Amino acid sequence: MNNTDFQIAICGSAGDGTIAAGDVMKRAMARAGFKVIAFDIYPPEIRGFGKCIARIRVTTEQVYSLKHHSDILVSLNDSHAIPHVPEVGRYGAVIYDQSAIAAVAEGEHISGHVQPDHLPYSLPLREISEQTTGSARSRNIVVLGYVAGLYDLPKDAFHDIIQEKFGRKAASIVESNIKAFEAGYALGADTFKLDFIQVGKPADKVNGNQVVMMTGNAAVVRGSLDAGLDAYFGYPITPATSIMEMLATELPKRGGRLLQTEDEIAALAATVGAGYAGARAATATSGPGLALMVEMLGLGVMAEVPSVIFVSQRGGPSTGMPTKTEQSDLHLAVFGGAGDCQRIVMAPTNVEGAYRCAGKAFEMAEKYQTPVIVLLDLYLSNRYETVILPKVNPFEPDSSKGRSASDPNKPYQRFAATDDHISPRAVPGEDGAIHTVTGLEHNELGRPNDQPDNHVRMSDKRHLKLQQALSHPGITIHKRFGDEGPVDVGILGWGSTFGEILEAMFLAREEGIRCSAMKAVMLSPLPVEPIKAFFDDCGAVLVPELNYEGQFANLVMSQIGRPVTRLNRVPGVPMKVSDILDEIRMLAERNRAVAAE
Amino acid sequence: MADLREPVYLENKLAEVRDSGRLDYRSKSLPTWCPGCGYFSVAEGVTKALNDLHIANKDVTVVSGIGCASRFPFFTDTYGFHTLHGRTLPVATGIKVANDDLTVIVVGGDGDAFAIGGGHIPHAARRNVDITYLLFDNGIYGLTKGQTSPTSVHGFKTGTSPFENQDQPLNPLMMLLSYGSSWVGQAYAGEPHHLADMIAKAVTHRGFSYLHILSPCVTFDKTSMTYSNLNMMVRDLPENHDTSDMMAAMKEAATVDHPALGVFYEEARPTLADGFDEIIRRAQGRAAGPAAVAAE
Ligand SMILES: Cc1ncc(C[n+]2csc(CCOP(=O)(O)OP(=O)(O)O)c2C)c(N)n1
Ligand code: SF4
Ligand SMILES: [Mg+2]
Repeated sequence: MNNTDFQIAICGSAGDGTIAAGDVMKRAMARAGFKVIAFDIYPPEIRGFGKCIARIRVTTEQVYSLKHHSDILVSLNDSHAIPHVPEVGRYGAVIYDQSAIAAVAEGEHISGHVQPDHLPYSLPLREISEQTTGSARSRNIVVLGYVAGLYDLPKDAFHDIIQEKFGRKAASIVESNIKAFEAGYALGADTFKLDFIQVGKPADKVNGNQVVMMTGNAAVVRGSLDAGLDAYFGYPITPATSIMEMLATELPKRGGRLLQTEDEIAALAATVGAGYAGARAATATSGPGLALMVEMLGLGVMAEVPSVIFVSQRGGPSTGMPTKTEQSDLHLAVFGGAGDCQRIVMAPTNVEGAYRCAGKAFEMAEKYQTPVIVLLDLYLSNRYETVILPKVNPFEPDSSKGRSASDPNKPYQRFAATDDHISPRAVPGEDGAIHTVTGLEHNELGRPNDQPDNHVRMSDKRHLKLQQALSHPGITIHKRFGDEGPVDVGILGWGSTFGEILEAMFLAREEGIRCSAMKAVMLSPLPVEPIKAFFDDCGAVLVPELNYEGQFANLVMSQIGRPVTRLNRVPGVPMKVSDILDEIRMLAERNRAVAAE
Repeated sequence: MADLREPVYLENKLAEVRDSGRLDYRSKSLPTWCPGCGYFSVAEGVTKALNDLHIANKDVTVVSGIGCASRFPFFTDTYGFHTLHGRTLPVATGIKVANDDLTVIVVGGDGDAFAIGGGHIPHAARRNVDITYLLFDNGIYGLTKGQTSPTSVHGFKTGTSPFENQDQPLNPLMMLLSYGSSWVGQAYAGEPHHLADMIAKAVTHRGFSYLHILSPCVTFDKTSMTYSNLNMMVRDLPENHDTSDMMAAMKEAATVDHPALGVFYEEARPTLADGFDEIIRRAQGRAAGPAAVAAE
């Protein structure tokens, strides 16, 4: 279990090196062998001196959400950090610069806001920085050293990361940062620790597998490359852009091609074009881009052409809140388009899941001849987690049911009826398989046909073939955690919020509430049977999600036909674990009351 | 015009067509166009050009949008992708990115291209995607039964402009020239032999080739772009027209009252695929290739 579990929040303005300090911290902890989850929040302005917060949770076993309470708050700018003092838990630490105290008006120094059950550590950050490096700019590194010294964190890991992070600049910069770190460390090691924060040893290394720290978007890139991505088409949009930027460097190294298109319509059109010609192709966007793509998505469904679309959701509607997280594009991803146009939609719940879903999306798109949407959100796209990557590439390089699967003695039929509703697929350039595909309803040959029996048969084909995705090998599309058997409360979740759900569920169990949580990774087609079985076990089912309308709750109720309790929040930031926990308590109580009657 | 003093016998003509091998490029589906529609000439021209150029059927992909013109791929015995209204060029770009060896012919109407699909044209042209774009201009929306299009003349009366169209038509040739299309030409469905020649030239060009085809919609346009009007209007490009002279091409394109037929402009420059080769070379740390040199 977790002998280490602490969360540090570093708060300052953009000019204070806040995010940089957080970056060194999370990398050093990951390097030392701890598990890390980290999420930075910075101002929507491109530049300036707005508030930045880097939050890092360090544990022995991987966890999938930040804690609602931080154990350590580091202030690099008091006016920004003061509102965050209440986020520090009981007997937690508040670390700040003492030097500013004389100059500021009453109430503007953080020392006046520290609560009675907090442990304040006031240190001469500016002085130490100036003495060791000649400038106040290294306050962020001094304070890191202090934290490392205070909690006895592995010093070597910090040295390594400082070397790597600043090594590309001048050697003198590395040197002065190490000096700043050491000075802070010495002070920290000398300080008598009064708080309750305990740091144990990291877990043993997992044999052979690679442990790396990456963001959700980086995991998408890694998964796509491991699945053999041939071509990428995209149009920049927050929070998906970094997928395209990483691929722009990595894809051509492997001989792949990336094109920045004129808009998202063109991005998916070209992806579908490349898929039609036999390539593994993908695009990535956010809600507004997906809105532009839905007509093309319908063509992909109708013409049975593989394509992969990564969608990182942000606050909506319209341009909405580009730098805030939300889960409000589920309706669009699952239902968007003209006519009955089911497609595969998967929503990973953590960074490792993003890697799996990304790679498997290509297998599925090819195998079931369909568009596949992988739905992420800003919180998952941008947060860092330590993940274990498998030693051997887990993705099949070719999962296409090729033309060789068709009867060579019969004329080729692109949309031939088969037992599994998947027709052998030929691509341009292949001999003896010439055909035309179309967005018009068509017969087995691909010829336009709007006869009633034909449309019924083809609608069946397009929907039934996708059911097989529910048993696609090598991927977990739903999973239950917590208590087995009948429980008072079940929490059904999707996407990045599932981390907070798990956290709340474990806390509820510690309080003696019988509960379990189920994640649905595949949202279309929905794993109806397992979800029904989960409902059978639960006194009440809670569906927490970051949208106003309860989009997943709507989906579940329409397909399972049973009531759920909704928990909807749209703050633009991850859901509070405490909000979920309160709801679980309330439902558990109600359920017990009903049972007692 | 063919010399009509000699009698032409149907069976001789049929035998000639059959023996040529052109029919191998026709699909078993008969075109669904109205009798007399200019599009028949384009279909004939494409099959003739492909046959003359000896391009294997399996290596040709015809990409179309939505409209009467866009029914085209069903009538050729080649690979085909009948896509969405206005989205031909990005789909064709994706196909070429995936497999540059394919001969990709894009077909579509004036509405498909310059109304709903107008945003894609400059980008396919400037990237010099190695495809042939056959634009069937009838100055009207045919498939939806006769509404004004971006190339309809001022004063045109249709179902959606009962009080006459008040908008100016676009000048597609000038647009394509300024977009950086590396081959720009114009043909007329009423001159099928010239049209077939122009199609062959456009397909042969390495890079983005744009062929504007004036083609009457005999069913819904009785007044504007009719055969009799066009027969009187069209002219050949001057014999001394220099196809490397952009300004001369622009000047010819500007004379819309008497549309000129022929090759307006052509230029050799690296294609999209050449650019990818260069990017891959740089990413893999290898020396620059000929494409980069040509581009510099
Ligand atoms: C998104 C969308 N909007 C509208 C239509 C209806 N529509 C089909 S074809 C067409 C216009 C066709 O005109 P043009 O491109 O000039 O081709 P033509 O029929 O004249 O050959 C329209 C508006 C459609 N299919 N899709
Ligand atoms: S409606 Fe016009 S454009 Fe369409 S097939 Fe008939 S004549 Fe040709
Ligand atoms: Mg038209």
